[in-house]
Amino acid sequence: MLRTIVTILWKDLRIELRTRDALSASFVFCVLVLVIFNFTLDLNAEEARRLGGGFLWVSFAFGGILSLNRSFALEKADGCSKSLMLAPADRGAIYLGKFLANVIFMLVTQVLILPLFAIFFNVPILPAIPLLVLIFLLGSIGFSSVGTLFSAMAANTRMRELLLPLLLLPVSIPVLLAAVKTTQYALGVNEDASDWFKLLIVYDVVFVTASYLGFEYAMEE
Amino acid sequence: MTWMIAAYAIIWIAIFIYVFGLDRKQRALASELDQLKSKLKG
Amino acid sequence: MKSRDYILPALVFVGMLVALYMIGFYAPVEREQGIVQKIFYFHVPCAWVSFMAFLVVFVFSIRYLISRDKRWDNRAAAAAEVGVLFCTLVLITGPIWAKPVWGIWWTWDARLTLTLVLWLIYVAYLLLRHYVTGDEKRATLSAILGIVGFIDVPLVYFAIRWWRTQHPQPVFGGGAGSGMDPRMAATLWVSLAAFTLMFAYFVRVRSRQLALEDEIEQAHQLADEASVSMRGDLR
Repeated sequence: MLRTIVTILWKDLRIELRTRDALSASFVFCVLVLVIFNFTLDLNAEEARRLGGGFLWVSFAFGGILSLNRSFALEKADGCSKSLMLAPADRGAIYLGKFLANVIFMLVTQVLILPLFAIFFNVPILPAIPLLVLIFLLGSIGFSSVGTLFSAMAANTRMRELLLPLLLLPVSIPVLLAAVKTTQYALGVNEDASDWFKLLIVYDVVFVTASYLGFEYAMEE
Repeated sequence: MTWMIAAYAIIWIAIFIYVFGLDRKQRALASELDQLKSKLKG
Repeated sequence: MKSRDYILPALVFVGMLVALYMIGFYAPVEREQGIVQKIFYFHVPCAWVSFMAFLVVFVFSIRYLISRDKRWDNRAAAAAEVGVLFCTLVLITGPIWAKPVWGIWWTWDARLTLTLVLWLIYVAYLLLRHYVTGDEKRATLSAILGIVGFIDVPLVYFAIRWWRTQHPQPVFGGGAGSGMDPRMAATLWVSLAAFTLMFAYFVRVRSRQLALEDEIEQAHQLADEASVSMRGDLR
């Protein structure tokens, strides 16, 4: 089973390394969102620090949806999904492989965006970087857990690109909220974010488990 | 006072619309069933 | 319909009449808010019914995945439809109540926000059903969403509650909370019962209708097959 996970993970990573489609698309998209926020809101540095958590995670959510969409669009396009289902692999392992790939994609984008955010909005982040990366990781795990499941489900329908955000955004509200609050804490805004950290972890555990179990049903023919 | 009437009105209108919708669907299904029966006999 | 099928709609009818009477004549007019407060007797049951509907979707989704019996999918779909209907009514009557009493249409207080998020999740459920082709796939995918969506509900509840306690807000329906006149409480319970019965009735009617659609579809297929084989014989 571990082998399956690694195989799928490695396959998705290699495709991405070769084409860099998902990463570049979601990175550029995140930059665009931040830029548009800047134009529409025109904030000073202090306000940007206060609201920055929100900006970051709005851009991460939409960028994440872009890369999640591709996760299964790839398979459907070349008819790979059928061969994937015929392969004698544990469905749960396929899920974990894809899920980990998506987490890595999201995390890479986020880590690249962070310095840009600090520059655009003049927000000091240096002392908080390790904590921020941890928060990005936890948030990406939560978002990608349901995201991978819903992406597989939406790939079955006529309107997959539209359906994924419709399904994912409401369900991911707790993890997005928790991610924003903890990011604000890391940037020095919130006083006490211990509840929000707990929510992040609980969400991650609950939904990785639930998506792992539910994926088997999503991949049926 | 008008607010209260508005709220109750909306609730009842919505419920009636739903019920009428159900009824309309039921009629459509019944006529489809009739068509099917004549198709089988014919 | 069998004769005992008429019991439920009759109860709904009687229950609603009694509730309306109590709301109009039995329950006292609230001191601070005036007569507008009586929206409460429909607003709260609508919220109760929609939460119950989504619990029902959860249970029926599980039963479908276990048994693969299409009837459970029909019932889940029916419950989701009715749930979205009543959830929409909560979101409409809430602001209608709020405007004259608190002067604002909307507030991001915990309860209203939670209702909005629930509405979004279950509208997504209906959209998913609309866009998936293939009965069995539709049933399976809906069941997954029905389960995952409901698991999310407590997390959404806590997230929104913690989020809101950081910003004090006007409390919606606060006046109806503690120290309710017993006549108001009684009226509320009767209204709750009437709406619950109505919910059960709607789900029953709609799920039977969906089952009928399935049967007609099957009959169409049989008729098509029969006519094809008949033509084959004649040739």
